[in-house]
This record gives sequence, C-alpha cells and structure tokens, in this order.
Amino acid sequence: MTLINRPPVAATPPILAQGAEASPPPRRSFLRENPSIPWFLGLLTIFTVIVSVLSEGLGIGALSTSMVKILGMTLCLCLIAIAMDVVWGYCGILSLGHFAFFGLGGYAIGMWLMYARTEIVIRDSMAGAVLPPTDAELSEAVAAQIFGVVGSSELPLIWSFAHSLPAQLALVVAVPGLLALVFGWLAFRSRVTGVYLSILTQAMTLALALYLFQNDTGLRGNNGLSGLQNIPGLLDVPQAVLAVWFLWASATALGLGYLLFAWVVSGKFGSVIRAIRDNEARVRFLGYNVEGYKLFVFTLTAIVSGIAGALYYPQAGIINPAELAPIASIYLAVWVAIGGRGRLYGAVIGAATVSLLSSWLTGGGAPNIEIGAFRLMWADWWLVLLGLGFVAVTLFFPKGIGGLFDKIVRKAP
Amino acid sequence: MMTLLEVRDVSVSFDGFRAINNLSLSIGEPELRAVIGPNGAGKTTFMDIVTGKTRPDSGEVLWGERQIDLLRLSESQIAREGIGRKFQKPTVFEDQSVRANLSMAVRNKRGPFAVLIWRATVQDHQRIAELAEEIGLTERLDDRAGDLSHGQKQWLEIGMLLAQDPRLLLVDEPAAGMTPSEREHTTDLLKRAAQTRAVMVIEHDMDFIRRLDCRVTVLHEGSVLAEGSLDHVTKNQQVIDVYLGR
Repeated sequence: MTLINRPPVAATPPILAQGAEASPPPRRSFLRENPSIPWFLGLLTIFTVIVSVLSEGLGIGALSTSMVKILGMTLCLCLIAIAMDVVWGYCGILSLGHFAFFGLGGYAIGMWLMYARTEIVIRDSMAGAVLPPTDAELSEAVAAQIFGVVGSSELPLIWSFAHSLPAQLALVVAVPGLLALVFGWLAFRSRVTGVYLSILTQAMTLALALYLFQNDTGLRGNNGLSGLQNIPGLLDVPQAVLAVWFLWASATALGLGYLLFAWVVSGKFGSVIRAIRDNEARVRFLGYNVEGYKLFVFTLTAIVSGIAGALYYPQAGIINPAELAPIASIYLAVWVAIGGRGRLYGAVIGAATVSLLSSWLTGGGAPNIEIGAFRLMWADWWLVLLGLGFVAVTLFFPKGIGGLFDKIVRKAP
Repeated sequence: MMTLLEVRDVSVSFDGFRAINNLSLSIGEPELRAVIGPNGAGKTTFMDIVTGKTRPDSGEVLWGERQIDLLRLSESQIAREGIGRKFQKPTVFEDQSVRANLSMAVRNKRGPFAVLIWRATVQDHQRIAELAEEIGLTERLDDRAGDLSHGQKQWLEIGMLLAQDPRLLLVDEPAAGMTPSEREHTTDLLKRAAQTRAVMVIEHDMDFIRRLDCRVTVLHEGSVLAEGSLDHVTKNQQVIDVYLGR
C-alpha cells in the first residue's frame, strides 16, 4: 500500500519507472517447486514394490493374481483421472467423454492382441497339414475365427494393420488423438462451453458406443474383443507373472503421466489454462488464442487416456462397447471431484479410493448387513452410497479429499 | 500525429435497440482521449466492437499504417495487434499470484507450444519488477491476486495492460473505487502513457477528466455528439441538454 502513494516519478517515456531493480525470484528446480512429485513417485514406487513382493507371480503369494490385476487396472484409472483433472480441474472443460478415448485405446491394442493370438492358434492347428498354409489362407482362417460370432468371415478394412504391433501401438495414440482433435476443433471453434460442451461430449461417447454395438462395424459388436489377457509372444509366461509385469507397466505410465502433467500445469502454460478456466474472455483480450489452448489440452489428455486404456484392457481381458457408455465418463468426473479438482494427486486419490471401494463392495467383498427383516446388499446400495458421498463432498469439502492436505500442510510450520 | 484507429459509420443493434448508430471516430498516435456520455450512450459497446467482442452490423474499423480491418480479426488477434483493454470491474486472475498475472500479460509469444516451453529470462524478471514498482505492488508479487484490495486490483490490471505494451489502450472507468491519491497517480500514469501511444479513457468523473486535460468526445445514443476540449464541449448546448444538465 505504501508504494502507491509515493510521489509520481518523472515523466520519461517509456512509461515505466526508471531504476526499478530486477529481483528475479530465486531459481528453484522443477521438483522443488512441485513437492508433490517426489512424494507421489516415492509412494508409487513403494506401492509397486510391496505389491510385487506380496504377489503370487514373483513374491510370497499373499495377494492373488486377480487382486494384482485389479491394482494394476486401478493405476490405469488413476492415469485417466489425472488427465481428466487437467482438462477439467485446470482448464475448466468438463468433458464427460474421456472414457471414449480410454476405450478406443483399448480397442486399438485389443485388435493386435486378438489377431496375433488367433494367428498363432491357427498356425499351430494347421501345423500337421501336408502343405504349410499360405498367407492368404492364414488370414482368411483368422478372420473366420474372429468374426464367426458376428456371422462374417472377412477381415474388415480397419483390421488392415492388426498383424503389426507397432502399427496398433501408433493407433493407440493416433485414434483418440485424432478424434479429440476433430471433435475439439469443431466444438471449441463454435465457442461451445460449459454444460453444453459436457452434453456434447456425452453425445460423442454415446454415439461411439452405439456405433460399436452394431455387428457390422468390424469390431465384433456387443461381443467386443476378448482373450486380451493372453499376450502373443508371452504365452508361456504364467498369468501370475504377467499381472505383475502389467502392474509395473501401469505404474511406470502413471509416474510418467504425472510428471508430464505436473510439468504442463506448472509453468506459464498452467497459468494460462487456469486463467481460461476462471475467465476465458479476459484471456482472449490478453492476446491468447483460447481455442488453441483448449484444443491442445483436450487432445493431449485424450491421448494419455488412450494409453491408459491400452494398458487397462489387457489386464481386464475383455473390452466391449459398454465400456464406452456415457456413465463411465460421468464416474470419472465424480472420482476427480471427490479426490479434489485442480491438484493432480487429488485425482489419483479419488480414482483409487472410489474404484477400489466400488470393486470391493460390488464384488461381494463386503459383508451384507442385516437390519431386521431388511437386508442391505452392497452391490445394490453402492451407487446410492456413491451418490450421497458425491453430494457430501460437493457441499462440505468443495476441494475434495485432496483439499484436506492443504489444511495439514498449512498447519505445519 | 498519425491516425492509429479509425472507426467509420459503424452501427450495431441488439434486439432492435441501436446501441451504436453510424458512429465515426478516430484516434491518433500518440494521443490521450476521454470519452464521456450518459448511460447507454454506447461507450462500452464501442470498446466491445474495437476489441472484437461484438460484431457490428455495418461499418468498418481500420487499424494502423496498413489499414487492417479489425472486424476480420478475432479478439486475441486484435490484442496481439496492440490493443489493450482495461475493464470497468477489475478482472485479474484472483487464484494466481500477482507475478503470474503480470507474467501472462508481458509481451511474449502467445502460442500454446511456445508458452509450454517458455521460461522467464532475466529481461522478463526485470520487466515484471519494473511493472510491479510502477503499480506499487513490489512487496506483493508472490501474493494471490485475490487477496489484494479493490484499488490494488485496479492497479494490477493497469500493470497487465502496460505489460502487453499496446499501441492503443482502452481504459474503462479507471478511477472507480480509487482513493483521491490513487486517482492522482492514475491520471499521471495515463498521461505519461499517452506520450508514446494512444490512450482512450471512458470516465464519468468530470474532475478526473479535467485533470487528464485532453480532447474529449461526447457520445449520445450511439453516435458522436460533440468533440473538442473539455471547456468547448461543456459549453455545447446539446451536450448540456443530454448529459450535463441532468
């Protein structure tokens, strides 16, 4: 306050006060500025080591293989949750369609998994024949095997690269990225914002799910892709070991994703996207092309969601169009809201807590409660509980579970 | 003095109400200009048109040496051309530090990729320190902008405007909510800014305008009613009737 009332400085164009001393803030390293990163990576490493040691595949066997898979899948859900947090919590775009990108990533890798494995099975079964099968025969047999369930025996055009792992890995990134780019360009260019954009993203994921439900779309309709837990080339490796390997891969992806997004939101870019969230018109008058930033964030998070999906579905073993249902993307928003928007670790806490609680309560892990003649079945009542929890968090902890950390940190000297 | 911005025969109506009616106006570089007029005269709509927020129904807005038609550009392109705007209500990014607010405004590349890899240079720090000094917020650089007083937010927004280094500053009611000494500082700052660039101030406060000591444009019902020195326009009978007399 005192500086405002000082005598006016001499008029010397350019209009800035002369002699103001530059006092650059002490340069701190990226990690020092983001103390959550070492904490997060440390805890993630400890978690991964403990699970590996307790696993059936590589350790003492205290954790079942299916439990290890659930934990590995949870890490993938945490990865899409931090992507959601960046697009919603930081940039203010409430996308209710990010699970579409997750599903597309899963389909892209699933096509290779299914094709390559079927090819191996067929090759083995034809091994006894007098003449070795030609490539065309092999491809035909694979097609008949995969598409028999939908009454077709031809390999659809979109399976052209299914034999090639690098090509399908490229599609894991390219398909969600391209869809997000085109969708986002159309939506942001027309300045669709707020709840209208949310509805549009819901429509996108619903349309995609309905499309995939059809039998003639080349992705086996409502059967989806299955047997994805069998990794071609690693068929001799027991599932118990594979589960741990996928846990490592998921943990690595989550760690790298955390680093990437922490870097993206920490500098001036983070400043600009938070400013867009708070007042996008004002950001335009500062000369920033708001639509370009939104498109960048939307596409980048879609790509990361696709990668998360590509790691998730080999652990789940099956993907079908129901995975892309609008409700999945709404859950994603609920996780992030419960965990705490606008902080990356909040999204991780929310996704891990809610999805693990969900699989515990709906998977019959929790005992049912007898209240007189009434029997509380968790599988039925879980959604009610989740709904109440969501309302409670919104009303009483608008910053979510992650917001509690702020209070603890602030109290500490 | 060369003409920097020329607004020609611009009209715009909202639901049949003509907010701007064949408005023609120009401002040179450097120049300080005050725009006054009763409520609903079209002052803010005029700024909306120049900054690209509102598209007029007819007319043209020409800018700079190359006579660029601003109506073809988006808000952000217009801002990059060198038009800065200060809103009536202070609009700073409350959730972020004063430094982050200034840093976003400082003239640098604006594309997403350039901003992503941007790191502050010594010149950037120097510039931010100078701006903070100018607006009296040196001590508060690392505080949340939301924690500033109303007057300080006004200052921060003026600082952000200066950081953009615009050729034309559009300032909407800069003195609102300021103490007398803050007003004095504001007048001083605007006058100095107008030595090297064009500054257009919308203001209701006659004393404030008198202190600016510049050419005055009176708007009424969306067009220019009178233009000249303050003494000249205040003697104009029409101006007295529609504005000052009330």
